[in-house]
Amino acid sequence: MAYFKDDQEVYEYIGKLFEDLSVDPELSPKFRKADTIVQYQYRNPESQITVRMKENEEPKVDLGPTDMDPEVIMTMEADTAHKFWLGKVNVTVALARGQMKAKGPVAKILKLVPLVKPVFPKYKQQLANAGRKDLVEVA
Amino acid sequence: MTLSDDGDFGRQMSGFKDFYQFVAPTRVVAGRGLIEGLGFEFSKEGAKRVAIITDAVIRGTGLIDKVQDGVRDGGVEVAGVFDGVPPDSDSGAVLAAAEQARADGADAFLAVGGGSVMDTAKLADVIFTHGGEPREWEGYYGLPRADDGLGRPFDLAPLACLPTTAGTGSEVSFAAVIKDRDEHLKFQVADFPMYPRLAVLDPESTRTLPPAIAAATGMDAMTHAIEGYVSREWTPHGDAYALEALRLIRDNLVRAVQTPEDDDARGNMLIAANLAIAPISCNAIGIAHALSHPAGAHFDVPHGVANAINLPWVIEFNAAGGPDIADRYRDINELLGLETGGDDATIGHALAEHVRGVVAALGLPTRLGEVGVPESAIPVLVEGAMGDACTIVNPREPTEAEFAELYEKAL
Repeated sequence: MAYFKDDQEVYEYIGKLFEDLSVDPELSPKFRKADTIVQYQYRNPESQITVRMKENEEPKVDLGPTDMDPEVIMTMEADTAHKFWLGKVNVTVALARGQMKAKGPVAKILKLVPLVKPVFPKYKQQLANAGRKDLVEVA
Repeated sequence: MTLSDDGDFGRQMSGFKDFYQFVAPTRVVAGRGLIEGLGFEFSKEGAKRVAIITDAVIRGTGLIDKVQDGVRDGGVEVAGVFDGVPPDSDSGAVLAAAEQARADGADAFLAVGGGSVMDTAKLADVIFTHGGEPREWEGYYGLPRADDGLGRPFDLAPLACLPTTAGTGSEVSFAAVIKDRDEHLKFQVADFPMYPRLAVLDPESTRTLPPAIAAATGMDAMTHAIEGYVSREWTPHGDAYALEALRLIRDNLVRAVQTPEDDDARGNMLIAANLAIAPISCNAIGIAHALSHPAGAHFDVPHGVANAINLPWVIEFNAAGGPDIADRYRDINELLGLETGGDDATIGHALAEHVRGVVAALGLPTRLGEVGVPESAIPVLVEGAMGDACTIVNPREPTEAEFAELYEKAL
């Protein structure tokens, strides 16, 4: 059974994380160095998050439909995304296993991987604050 | 892979791994006189009418004439020869190769050349089979698949490779790196169907290889083997390939460069390079490559030369990262007959000095400053290295300051 019951839950937790990161005074400038637009396409439940991380434009996060044109598309189960943000997915292994698929200049995203470690505890805390410790423990 | 409580990936440099995947679907034939039997071997992979992909330099050596004879002798037709692959191959060459193969009525590809030629043939095969533009396929595991993209990937037209350098191992890898000249960048396409069906390793194919290129490409193979063995994505399968590659490199690299007429040495180096790429199929690589890629992108430093310069400094840096890392270098030292006792730094230094000695014996540059890299470039090189995919699988995670220090040492 999938961790999230519908797309709204995906947006409520993973989407909110992206929104928070986009205005994080420490992390946002680092992410914007990627200078790209990434779209995360999730299955089970079907959902989509598009994130603009451009050096010369304001960060933007669209939950669901978007008019942004993504340069990189990452496709995965929503469960895989959830586990990633809990720090429990090795991206290189997930790509090799086909748990994550990447289209476009993937190196732009891979270089962010070392930067996201401080985000893992933030995500756990965010879930705990929302009363969803079950989502922390289930993965 | 072991996880620490804060979600960071701990490195696991020994023991039973939670998961790894090893893939080696390419049939490899190695030996003498194989060019004469190219058609015989390739017909077993379904080839009937072959598009030969090469470059003008290789064609000028007369090798392509022998290749065509070998294809025809096996009862396979030559549809045409595309010799327009540039040294750093690009999207235009890929499209032109695919277009010519279609126009010539080919049903299979035969790449005769180095990494650039083989990568061109791989992506040309993708375009030939599935259509589209080269950049549309950029990414990992993005080729069309059954079951709404989740099942088995569809086959490409059969591809065979006859490498004319002993270094890249592209003849048994599933990735193609191609330049987009309009965007001034290199992009990568990688998926399982891109593994060539057949790799033919015959020392005749490297007979005219200039010693300087043999040296640089040989150091690329050595770097693949050492970094593959010590990466945090090491695997027991990759280890077996890497250590045997290092044995062959130990016994044959300097011989192959200093006595180019030595067919045995050149043949063994083809096999070494072929084995050394195997760990990279499991993502096992490291920051010698991360340091070398920006040097190539900004200053056209040949990849093997940059690796030869950077590798010793990286070994010393990594070995100081902990006894679990140093123990992996200790294995390599044992194989090479070097110091295996002493502390971590001693182990790293002994191997680094050995590599420096090989580089000197090969007559390659030993400093980035010798190949046109200025000190003022360090910030932009560091930014490139930090953003390189090879960095995240290095056993020791470098900071920006540590990358800068590595470049300073290599200059």
